[in-house]
Amino acid sequence: MKELSIRALQRSATTIALSVLATGVAGQGADDGKDDWTLHAQHIYTAAGDAIEGGTVRVENGKIVSVRSGGGSGALEAFAITPGMIDLTPGIDMGHVSVEQSTEAVFGQSAALGLDLFSYRWDRILKSGVTTVMASAPDYNVFSGLSLCLKTGGEKTISARLVKQDVALRAAVGTQPSSGNRPPRGSEPLNFYFRRPTTRMGVEWLFRKSYYDTISAQQSGDSDNRVRDDILGKTLLGQLPLAVKAMATQDVRTAIFLKEEFGIQRMILTHAVEAWREPELVQRSGVGVCLPPFRASGRHPDGFANDAYFLPLQAAKDLFDLGVPIALSAQDGSEAGSRLGNQAGFAIRGGLSFEAALAAVTIQPASMVAIDETVGSIEVGKDADLVLWSGMPFEPTSQIIGVLLDGQLVVDPRGDSE
Amino acid sequence: MNSNMKTQRGIQRSRNTFFFAALIALGATLSAQTDGKIVVEAGRIITLAGEDIENGVIVIDNGRITAIGPAGEIEKPWDAPVVGGPAFTAFPGFIEAHTSSGMDRPNENFEVAPFLDIRDSIDPVSYYFEDCLRWGITTINVQQGAGCVIGARGMVVRPVGMTVEEMMVRPKYGLKISAIPKRGKSRSTQMQSLRYAFDDLRRYLEGLVEKERDERGQARREALFQGRDVEGEKNKGRAMGGTAWKVDGLEIIPRGAIDEKHEPLLDLVEGRYMIFFHCGSPIDVPHAIEIAETNGFLERTVLVLDEDCWKAADAIAKAGVPVILDGGLVDQRRDPLTGEERETFVPEVFEEKGITYAISSENWNDRSLWYQAALATGLGLSRDKALAAVTRTPAEILGLSDDVGTLEVGKFGNVCLFTGDPLSVTTWVDKVVIEGRPVYDRADDVRNRHLLEGVTPQGTAPPVADEGDEHDGDHEEEHQDEDEDHHEDKDEEHGEEHQDEEKEG
Repeated sequence: MKELSIRALQRSATTIALSVLATGVAGQGADDGKDDWTLHAQHIYTAAGDAIEGGTVRVENGKIVSVRSGGGSGALEAFAITPGMIDLTPGIDMGHVSVEQSTEAVFGQSAALGLDLFSYRWDRILKSGVTTVMASAPDYNVFSGLSLCLKTGGEKTISARLVKQDVALRAAVGTQPSSGNRPPRGSEPLNFYFRRPTTRMGVEWLFRKSYYDTISAQQSGDSDNRVRDDILGKTLLGQLPLAVKAMATQDVRTAIFLKEEFGIQRMILTHAVEAWREPELVQRSGVGVCLPPFRASGRHPDGFANDAYFLPLQAAKDLFDLGVPIALSAQDGSEAGSRLGNQAGFAIRGGLSFEAALAAVTIQPASMVAIDETVGSIEVGKDADLVLWSGMPFEPTSQIIGVLLDGQLVVDPRGDSE
Repeated sequence: MNSNMKTQRGIQRSRNTFFFAALIALGATLSAQTDGKIVVEAGRIITLAGEDIENGVIVIDNGRITAIGPAGEIEKPWDAPVVGGPAFTAFPGFIEAHTSSGMDRPNENFEVAPFLDIRDSIDPVSYYFEDCLRWGITTINVQQGAGCVIGARGMVVRPVGMTVEEMMVRPKYGLKISAIPKRGKSRSTQMQSLRYAFDDLRRYLEGLVEKERDERGQARREALFQGRDVEGEKNKGRAMGGTAWKVDGLEIIPRGAIDEKHEPLLDLVEGRYMIFFHCGSPIDVPHAIEIAETNGFLERTVLVLDEDCWKAADAIAKAGVPVILDGGLVDQRRDPLTGEERETFVPEVFEEKGITYAISSENWNDRSLWYQAALATGLGLSRDKALAAVTRTPAEILGLSDDVGTLEVGKFGNVCLFTGDPLSVTTWVDKVVIEGRPVYDRADDVRNRHLLEGVTPQGTAPPVADEGDEHDGDHEEEHQDEDEDHHEDKDEEHGEEHQDEEKEG
């Protein structure tokens, strides 16, 4: 693939970045001068098996080296510890400059090339306990390129923060990819927006055409777009998930029908406000679902007709009960009360169990994009991304008092005094 | 965008009609109940006036609490129906200190409109009041006019009843004054209009007195000519009261002769109204305080504040006025040089400065008071203080302490029964009793099932086709309209987060 071969560099780069920052920002107070910590909490919710009551997590060199019950005290104390949370559709604003305008089907470009690591939003997201996000180009193309997963803190370079490059191909169905486009008419000068597709039908047509072209190229061995054929081919083989933005019920149906029509192996429906309206179809199709933020009022503010989309609190529970993999997202919610932890709280309010809600903001999104070998749960050998809570996680009365990212203390539970 | 908003309103409207049926059902349960006795039992009573009571009983008679205490110590009237049980937590009900929800459009296009009354605008079948019961709010102060200079007379209501009269707790309650520049105005013209309003009052009264001195009985004749009521009490004159400026000789003017625009302002200066003074930024605060001081109503002033007004905390503390937080709990500011973000938890600042404060739900359904109090606890207020800021303190600020805010003998029999701790996500409001009348039962709340499970109750589904098609069409129309601005469609969701900057109420 033509992408930067960052992966090879990733580990060493991360280590360098960490040691640089360790001395600068949060190295102070660590057990032995390095980023090695012993954390103790009344409850450790590992997202991998049962919770540990009264336990200790030991962190060395940015990794979790032991998780056990007992251990009287640690350098860092909390009521509860959970894994760092993961948001697949975070409120990272890439800006309209990152929308590819020359074509509606972008395959090879990585969102890495459009990310602004200097945005203030990264800090907000990190402080809200989200340590890993999937970054994607804005959903204004039918295919908008490859998404990547990266950490929300650390040195401000992609290579230092990278968790995994090319975790999914981003696509969208419905009206949004065509919005702004229109057929040329009258005496107006030709401009940029006179292009296809201009309708929902056109969006699907372009989606289909891309897959048809890839399949026929595979059969004939004669390709006119090797990048497309390579990437769509991977989605057909299950080597690359297709993350499709599908909000309304109609979009959810469209996405699933396309999945079944072409045999796309792994699909994640993101922003899937109304996936709950088609529970059997979603269950049968085997897609993963990433839900947008809940609203206490039940009315969803996203989309073109605000009141039209509706996400009941029980949606997460209903889909979970059918065995559908569920991830939650805070999207742009960066204020206290609208963050990812609060979304898990709302899902619990809708009847989801605590364990399932925890999974939906940690290990579940991690496994949807296959980064669960390094992040998503508290297990030996995984990255030391940990969130320390003052009370029961996800309750609005609890606060995130500490955050560790790759073993670095980015929010210090001991207060400002130390 | 416009057509879009219209559609939304259309949808809202039609839904209103469809849920009307459900509300009638709720209303029916209300009117079927008499104002007689009722006994509320709860495994725990959070009185907010001293210790919680385990296994407690509340006896309500004729709308007010007549007895409250542990089950063993309270004699239950044999003829009273009993609600609740050991599984529930009883709570006084939240008090919405200030909102412009539950009414039609706010902000009349007059600068000084004290003659308007919110009573004419409150919509008893509004979703908002339905949600209030669902979230456990039992008393609501409706005020509007952040987009005016002097808004209108507000009103305190209970979220139950099919008519405004049924909902009324305190009519003509308070006046709204806004220091936030009206749209299209500068801060200085806003202040100028505000000062002018009181200068105008003074000149008007002086003019009346002067004319009356020239020719006795003229004020009365003119008032009669204009169809005002100048009989009885209204025919009498009174010397000007209040602590600020005075107009000599006002006693010769029958009070009924003072016109609608000036009467409320005179009431204000003479000390008969509360003032909700809306400040949108810290620089509004000193101006508001100065105007209140000059015109003698500082004692009855409540500042309604946006989150960044914490910066004026010293001025507020010095003036000794209570405040209602109408903005977010946390003020997020970025340092323009370093880009570093600072978060200020606003109630904590008020707490440190000794300012009396209430927390409102920011006119936002997603931030109802239980959630605000829970978040405030999470952000560092003690649980008691967070609960007080949405119950007892707003009652004090609004002057309703004798009736609401805590569960004590003599107060209104307003009780919410929660299924658990009022501040937990897993807890729901199960029943609400307002002034002794059971007005809400979660088991009968069809729309709550809609919000929770997405079940559309029978007979309430809009007959229109799936909305999906609708916005497509809508969207295309939009395109035809604004040919020039097409790029906006692609950009619009990328703007900086745009929280409701405009204050409505």
